Amino acid sequence: MTDLPIQHTSAFSNIKRHYFATPLNSAITVLLAAFTAWILWGFFNWAFLEAIWGYGKNEECRAHEHGACWSFVATRWRIVLFGLYPFEEQWRSALACIVMLIVAILSCVPVFWNAKRLPVLWMVGFATFYILMRGGVFGLTPVVERDWGGLSLTVFIFASVCLLGMPLSIIFALLRRSELPWIARTMALVIDVIRSLPLLAIMFTFAIVLPFVLPGWAIGDKLYRVIVGYAIFFACYQAEIIRGGIQAIPSGQEEAAKALGMGYWHRIGYIVLPQAFRNALPPTINQFVITFKETSLVTIIGFFDILASGRAAAGTADWSFATIEMYVFVGLLFFVFVFSLSRYGAYLERRMSLNSR
Amino acid sequence: MSEQAISVRSMNKFYGEFHALKNIDLDVGRGEKVVICGPSGSGKSTLIRCINRLEEHQAGTIEVNGIPLDDNVDNIDEIRREAGMVFQNFNLFPHMTILENCTLAPTLVRKQSRKEAEEAAMSYLERVKIPEQAHKYPGELSGGQQQRVAIARALCMAPEIMLFDEPTSALDPEMISEVLDVMVGLAEEGMTMVCVTHEMGFARQVADRVIFMAEGEIIEEAPPGEFFDNPKSERTKTFLGQVLGH
Repeated sequence: MTDLPIQHTSAFSNIKRHYFATPLNSAITVLLAAFTAWILWGFFNWAFLEAIWGYGKNEECRAHEHGACWSFVATRWRIVLFGLYPFEEQWRSALACIVMLIVAILSCVPVFWNAKRLPVLWMVGFATFYILMRGGVFGLTPVVERDWGGLSLTVFIFASVCLLGMPLSIIFALLRRSELPWIARTMALVIDVIRSLPLLAIMFTFAIVLPFVLPGWAIGDKLYRVIVGYAIFFACYQAEIIRGGIQAIPSGQEEAAKALGMGYWHRIGYIVLPQAFRNALPPTINQFVITFKETSLVTIIGFFDILASGRAAAGTADWSFATIEMYVFVGLLFFVFVFSLSRYGAYLERRMSLNSR
Repeated sequence: MSEQAISVRSMNKFYGEFHALKNIDLDVGRGEKVVICGPSGSGKSTLIRCINRLEEHQAGTIEVNGIPLDDNVDNIDEIRREAGMVFQNFNLFPHMTILENCTLAPTLVRKQSRKEAEEAAMSYLERVKIPEQAHKYPGELSGGQQQRVAIARALCMAPEIMLFDEPTSALDPEMISEVLDVMVGLAEEGMTMVCVTHEMGFARQVADRVIFMAEGEIIEEAPPGEFFDNPKSERTKTFLGQVLGH
């Protein structure tokens, strides 16, 4: 055997090859690098060097226009995070949020991926969240849903929509590929109709119009109606994602399960859905991300999600100049959440591809 | 209990306008080994897939172990439990380990305990000579190994009949014999087998009867000696000339 010499390419020669191959190439590289550096420097200067920190310095901020006013966040963060929730009770909202976060993190750990553990975990989590937020028991002052707001409201809406919407989307997807044509076609029609409506219109219908149609006992709070509407909307999109995942499974898989004498529900539960979700993981994570961000639409029917609370926090006369800082702060909260979700999705993909190599 | 393991009477199968199987009559006795061969598109795979209702027939009757194959779902499931099937493309479940592939149906369908099912699965994996792969995933195995696992998986349901649908057609040539060895072993133990295959050496060695199909019809059936050395119809002669003549 002859050993071929291995081509070692140094970092320097790689840079030269990729970015400075021709004079034009070099010029573009230098120009873009300078531009990027200029933008980064501008942001760094604004956000750190010229920034004003500390509690309640709105007069100083107003006088100093070149730097960020983080004093806004230090002073008004409670309004951004908790909205209209009564000031003395805001620890409950914070605790509820942390409980939800812990439940979400725990359900990402494979130990809890179990048909018994996962539902129990979420039921306990939701109950704790609800008791903390709503109060009225254990000596907690009642706080009606109308006064919920900020991060905990956003988290609550997102979690409920996903938990309600996920099982619903599986049912939709299975009905959509039913062997009975009228069921499959009806479901396809329902999905197409709901997908062609704007989410805003659906939320509005469920919040404002539905009370006129439903019997009194079925109306419930506006918040829950909106969540149900949003969950149905979510389910229609997610159902198509799952259907795509199912279609990617070779037909031999179901045939093999049939040939082993496995019934419909066993085939769906053990063969079809696990593989469908594996196939559909990237668009599913995508759907979660979109759903999280679109919770902000609930402002339209009078709820103070985190974005609306942020606007309220920067809405008073003494802080009205701090809108940029507010958006940066709220944007950062969204980013932390969505980015961790994406990283978790990437981890899941890696893990699953290892499993079925 | 009926005498026959499988009994097909004037069965017809259509795909829309296309008449895929024409008046098929077929009996397979207990412990009998039947090899079905024929040119591609002759309906041999369709026939074997009708026996456990992976395809639905439109006319005629099929009975497996005396159970009529009709629209009764319980009957269909019972027939599928009695008749194990091995596919051309293995169709192992890629998201499960080899052992899980083998224990899934016995625990779900036969309601065996996990321990019981695992012990049985290991003994079958030993029989197909790959117990050491039990905790790997199908994607980590060669084609021949996967097909042997597929056979073990079917055997774990303790079927009385095994249906093979071109089990060696998707394999690289050097892996064919390891699968055929397992099948020969099964035949020697007295398993009832219906096997769609082009492996004429296997047919000669194992089959009690060889069936030749063309264009959805059974053209000829005979014991292998007679079938290979003295075929009656012209079409069989042509086919055998093509398969054996190189």
